[in-house]
Parts: sequence; structure tokens; C-alpha cells
Amino acid sequence: MFSYDTRFLSRWVLTTDSRRLTALSTDDVRYYETKFFLVPGTGTVYVDATLSVIRQRAVAEGFREQLTILNHDDKPVSLDVRIEVGSDFADLFEVKDALRKKGKYYARAEPGRLLLGYERESFRRETEISSSQPVQIAEDGLTFAVTVEPHGEWSTDLRVTPTIRWPGGQRRVLSSRRNRDPGDMDENLREWVADAPQLECDWESLGRTYRRSLVDLAALRFSPLIAGSQSLPAAGLPWFMTMFGRDSIFTSLQALPFTPELAATTLKVLGRWQGTRVDDFRDEDPGRILHEMRYGELSAFEERPHTPYYGTADATPLYVVLLDEYERWTGDTTLVSQLELEARAALDWIDRYADLTGNGYISYQRRNEETGLENQCWKDSWDSISYRDGRLPGFPRATAELQGYAYDAKLRGARLARLVWNDPAYASRLEEEAADLKRRFNDDFWIEDGRYYALALDANGDQVDALASNNGHLLWSGIVDESRADSVVGHLLGPRLFSGWGIRTLAEGERRYNPIGYHVGTVWPFDNSFVAWGLRRYGFKDEAAQVAAGILDAAEFFQGRLPEAFGGYHRSLTRYPVQFPTACSPQAWSTGAPLLLLRTMLGLEPIGDHLIVDPALPVGIGRLELLDIPGRWGRVDAFGRGRVEVDTGPQLRAQLGEQAAAPPVSRPRRADPAGPRATRTDPARRSPPTTGR
Amino acid sequence: MMTDPTNEFFRELGTRGNEPLLKDATATVRFDITQDRQTDRWCLQINHGNVRVSTGDAEADGVIGAGRSLFNGIARGEVNAMAALLRGELTVDGEPDLLVLCQRLFPEPPRTRDRQPGATEGWRRS
Repeated sequence: MFSYDTRFLSRWVLTTDSRRLTALSTDDVRYYETKFFLVPGTGTVYVDATLSVIRQRAVAEGFREQLTILNHDDKPVSLDVRIEVGSDFADLFEVKDALRKKGKYYARAEPGRLLLGYERESFRRETEISSSQPVQIAEDGLTFAVTVEPHGEWSTDLRVTPTIRWPGGQRRVLSSRRNRDPGDMDENLREWVADAPQLECDWESLGRTYRRSLVDLAALRFSPLIAGSQSLPAAGLPWFMTMFGRDSIFTSLQALPFTPELAATTLKVLGRWQGTRVDDFRDEDPGRILHEMRYGELSAFEERPHTPYYGTADATPLYVVLLDEYERWTGDTTLVSQLELEARAALDWIDRYADLTGNGYISYQRRNEETGLENQCWKDSWDSISYRDGRLPGFPRATAELQGYAYDAKLRGARLARLVWNDPAYASRLEEEAADLKRRFNDDFWIEDGRYYALALDANGDQVDALASNNGHLLWSGIVDESRADSVVGHLLGPRLFSGWGIRTLAEGERRYNPIGYHVGTVWPFDNSFVAWGLRRYGFKDEAAQVAAGILDAAEFFQGRLPEAFGGYHRSLTRYPVQFPTACSPQAWSTGAPLLLLRTMLGLEPIGDHLIVDPALPVGIGRLELLDIPGRWGRVDAFGRGRVEVDTGPQLRAQLGEQAAAPPVSRPRRADPAGPRATRTDPARRSPPTTGR
Repeated sequence: MMTDPTNEFFRELGTRGNEPLLKDATATVRFDITQDRQTDRWCLQINHGNVRVSTGDAEADGVIGAGRSLFNGIARGEVNAMAALLRGELTVDGEPDLLVLCQRLFPEPPRTRDRQPGATEGWRRS
């Protein structure tokens, strides 16, 4: 069991009469609850037991297990039931990097409870284990002398509570769900799902994916250790159950039409932790939004910089993007007003601290060279940013999408300055800067012979010329010149980038392309969802539908839970998406991808106090209804019917491609964009979207 | 009281008047700084960014407790308060958010070295 980056329980082994048990079945009742059915003994093919054991586990305040033994025999039975326990109090970083502990362990058998502890100087973490039934407690386990009557049962409740203890005796339970019973969590999950829009769809798989996304998003809610009881999306279970600037922001953007409260918390909490000083160890600057917070031993002793660590180049402009998008959906100008200082500091950071080479672009280079992050963009692996010939550029690196985010942040900041902060002069300045940035960007990043944007500029200002999915993020940010959108879209949906399932991170044909390379050829559902949004922004509805169709079709192979990434093999080669061996499942921004794809397929766009609905759905989807979409309009419904013929390649599965038999598109096509519009009350919503063509 | 980084920190804080980083905050935070058996107390009354510093006992929404040598380190920017909390060297009684708030007041660490590449003209820091 992990809590706040520390493993509080590493051994938890049940035996009856010194024999281990065999699990007959496992039932994941809820995301916080699992039930195991077991019988005594192992290793035999035949199970001939007169005893059943049920272990029902729930994550609540720590962890609880209800252990039940059923006797199916006509005779009473006496058993030695034993649970071996132990904890290594490993920090997540130690687990990942296999490091040794520097402190001392201790254990105390007390009446009614066992206390396991770890101590290093004043750092102390303890695990408290107790039982509702009489128990014999030793330092390495709990033993029960159990007698079960014929056809009777015996049961005990075990509680495992992680705590932090201060030398003065103060103690705090380390749980994101303090004072929560499993029953409360049940109720909470029901409310969460009921509060989100209802989805009705002819294509059953999409309904399953949608429900899975909502429940996983609930599981990924996380309350930072010291931010009261509010929750925001953590990045992923189990390794990234913490605050991440980039992941929390992207997931909040994806979920805005469904659960806007996540965005509000993300903005408040990240704002509270915004950088205020220059700290090289943490790569902190004034105005910078944090990258990652960690609570374990290595962070406590500053062997890692995560208290919090600020080494990310995108979270800061994206913070402003989220704030504006949040206002457009919710009309919550109060929060925008409260966060004025934070938003201005973030916008300031772009020009004052992020322009490392003085050429007017955001670039990154870590100052903490030992434990800081080398790549501070979302493609953060060592080989993600390369030239066509495979060479890796030096630092600083100015990746393309960062400039798009900065451009978008300035324009959105300008809108908020006029609307809420009452500072038109500041708004005009930001707009001029944005226009200038767009002009320069289109000169400096555009690769004339390839007709796409470079992946980055290197330290000399030369183009890092590989073709990558980052071009799609540029559409999302609006920094692409209208005249170049056709070319860019042609590449995104062309054979080098589009696999049939989605857009690859790096184009086939680049030297470092590898269909199972983390950021050099795999398909990332999160990436695709933002590219689809970008396609809509420039009016490429059918292409957006094509991307949505591929990713949502892939989701069916993963029972509705999209992985972080899957292989970039062409769809006709593997017929199914090949999962990339990944550490986290669920992963927040993959969980959010189907939500954003629903938004893009339905063409949901808040304009003033209205929600524009302009659907462009793949044919196989049939009828799609999204009911009770929350926002500044109250609640409205959106309807659409699949009319866009998407190409799924030859002889593929029926669901989304039954009418398609053509090879994958190599050039964007424009089909009849007409589709039914949402209509509940307001005829204004029938007007065409302003961003469309 | 002698002048040391802790005393100097609270004295300087009292002269700031308005601290924009705390503009949304209205709270009373007490700092209990101990050395040997003696506890010195400072009280920060924060009212929409206006900070008043007084010494001595007062009712507070939260109490931050630390040894004097630790707090001297915080006041010099050498010790990170959040890490100290996780290490068990610093305590927060009451609303823990108050530490996040107060962390904004603590100075930055002494510079270990000049910022690389932009140490030339790139870092346009004012």
C-alpha cells in the first residue's frame, strides 16, 4: 500500500494452518474496493475444500480488509489464521531506482494493534494495524485462533493506517480520503457519475468507454497533502498519484465540459504553489507553475528536488490557457479575478524567465543537472527531440508547441485582461506580443521544403527538422498561418504520421522513428485528443472525426481504458492496437482523451452565454446524445448523428468502418459538414461556429 | 533579543506593509520558534495582503513551530520549509494551507552559480 509516495505496507500474507491460499476469483467491485474469493492450500489442480475465505479490501482512511471464513462442513473447524505483515517504507523513487534506506526500522506489538515504523533523524512514518477481533500480535504479524461452527462464519475487520509522526508527538493520518468510509466513497462516486452529462449512443463501446473514463477520473482525484479537502486530477496510478502541473492542466482541459470543478481546483492549487523565487535546485522561477510534488523521504531530505519541482516549460503558459477556457465554459469571473496576480506572473514568466537564449522563444535547460529533468516538454524522454537524421540537439531547446502555448496564453490573457481585470492597455500589449510571436514563429519554424513546422529550434536558433505530432498542437494553439493549415493537416493525416488508429508522435521515415519508441513513433491518445481539437479549430471537421474514430475504436480493445500510449504500427498490419508496456493505468490524460474527443466530435464550443454544437461524427457511431452539459448556460443537451465517412483501411472491423474501404487518407478531404445541431432552447446555438470555415 | 536571521526576517516583514503575494489571504499565523527551553512567538495578522507583525501570544488560525536554528536557515533561504515539514523538523498546527501561504514570504536560496546559458544576455531578469 502506497500513500503520498511512501510504501506503508509491503508484506501482507494470509495463511491458514501455515498454508497459503488459492484465489478462485477476484472482483474489482469499485475502484477503491476489491473482493477475493479463496480456498486453503495451493498447488493442486483440484480444489476440494470445505472452507472459503473472502477478503474484501477497500481503500478508505488507509486500507481496510474484511476477512471472512466460511465453514461449509457439518463439523466445527479450528484454525490458526495468520497474517504476516511488514513494511519497507520505501520512497517511490527508491522503488523505481532500487536505492538503499538510510534510516532504522522499528516495530511495536501493543495491545490490540501493531505499529510498524521507520525513522531517519526527525523523519518518522508509521503504519498502524489493528483488528476488530481478539488477536495475538507479534512484530511480524497477527495470529487468530479461530473456531468456526458447522456452516458458520467468522469475520474480522483489519485496518491499516499510514501516518506521519513528528518528534513532538503530533500525528497525522496520511490519506487523501481522510475520515472516509467505503460507504461514503460509494455515495461520492454515484454523485460524481450522476453529476456528469449522460451519454446515449448507438455504438455501445463508446458508452462503455465514457463510463470507464468517468470512474477512472474519480479514482485519480487527489487531495494534495496540504490543500484542504479539494481534489484535482493526479497524473496516474500508481506511480504518479500526485500533483503534476502539466498533467493536471491537460486533464482539466479535457474534462471541462463534463466536470468543470476539476479545473477550478487545479487552478487554485497550482496557483497557490506558483514559484516566487529563483531556486536552482528546484528549477524554480517567479511565476513558474510547478511540475511535480512529492512527499517521500528523498524529497524530505532534498535528495530529490520535488518539494515541489518546477522543471517544466509548458505548464506555465497552459495555466493561463486553462484559466481562460474555464471562464469561457463556466462564466466564473470571480475565480479569474482572484487569480489575476497568478495569471499575470505566469504571463510574465514567458518573457522574463523562459527566453533562455534571448531570441524571443520559450526554451528549456535544467539548472539542477543532477536530479532535474532534461526534457521539460511533454515528450520528456531522452531521444524525443531529434533532427531528421537522428542527431539530438543540445540545450537550450525551444520546442515548437511551447511557442504555440505561449501565443495562445497571451491572447487568452488579453481577453481576461479586458473582460475581468479591467486593463485594456495590458490586453493590447499582450495582443501585439502574440501577433509578433506568430509572425516570427511562422518565419523561423516553417520548413519550406517539407511544408511543416520544425519540432524545435536548437541553441543556435537552427531548425530541429523532424516531422512530429507537435504540429497538431500548433493547430490547437492557433499559431499556424491559415495558408499553411492545409499542408499541416495533410501531414497529420498522411501516411507518415497517421497509423489508422491515430497520429504518431514521430513520423515514419525519420531516423529515430520506432513504432514502439516512447515518444518516437507510438500513438498517444492524449496527444491525439488535442490534435483533434486543433483540427476543429481550423475547420477540419472530418479529419477531427477521423482521429476520434481511430482512438475511440482503439479504446474498445482496452475495455474502455486507453493506455498512455500504444504502438505506431499501421492499422492494417496489426489489426489491433499494440499496447506499449506502460507503468501507469489508468493515466489521467488518457482517461480524459475520450472526453475531449466527444467534445470535438460534437463540435462543442462556448460562445458568449451559449454552447454551440456543430457535430461531425464518424458514420459507424450512429446517434449520439450528450445530455445535461454543464456550463454558464445551465445545462444543455447536444445531439448528433454519424455522417462523416472515415477511412479505416481495408477489411477492418465493422463498428466504425463498415462503409469505408478506401486506403487511409493522405490528404485532408472536406466533406459535407452538415449535421444536426443541438437544440434545446436557444436558436442562437444554431449559428455556425465562429472558428469554423 | 539578539539580531539573528529569524529576528531580522520578522522585523523586515513588519516593514513591508502590503505584500501582494498574500492579497487573497486573511488569516492569523503564529510562529513558535524554540531554542533550548525558550519559545519566541511572532504573530502575523494578514488582511488582504496587509501584514502586521507582533510578538507574543495570540489566538491564531495556525501555528508553525520550528527550532531557531532551523528557522534561521529558512530566513536565510537555505532551508526549504516544505521539505522541513516532511522531515518532521517543522510542524503546523491548524490549517496546513497556511504554510503554503507563508512559504511565499521566505527568501530564495543563495545562488549556487550563475544561471547557465543565458547568464549572458538571455536572462532578462529585472
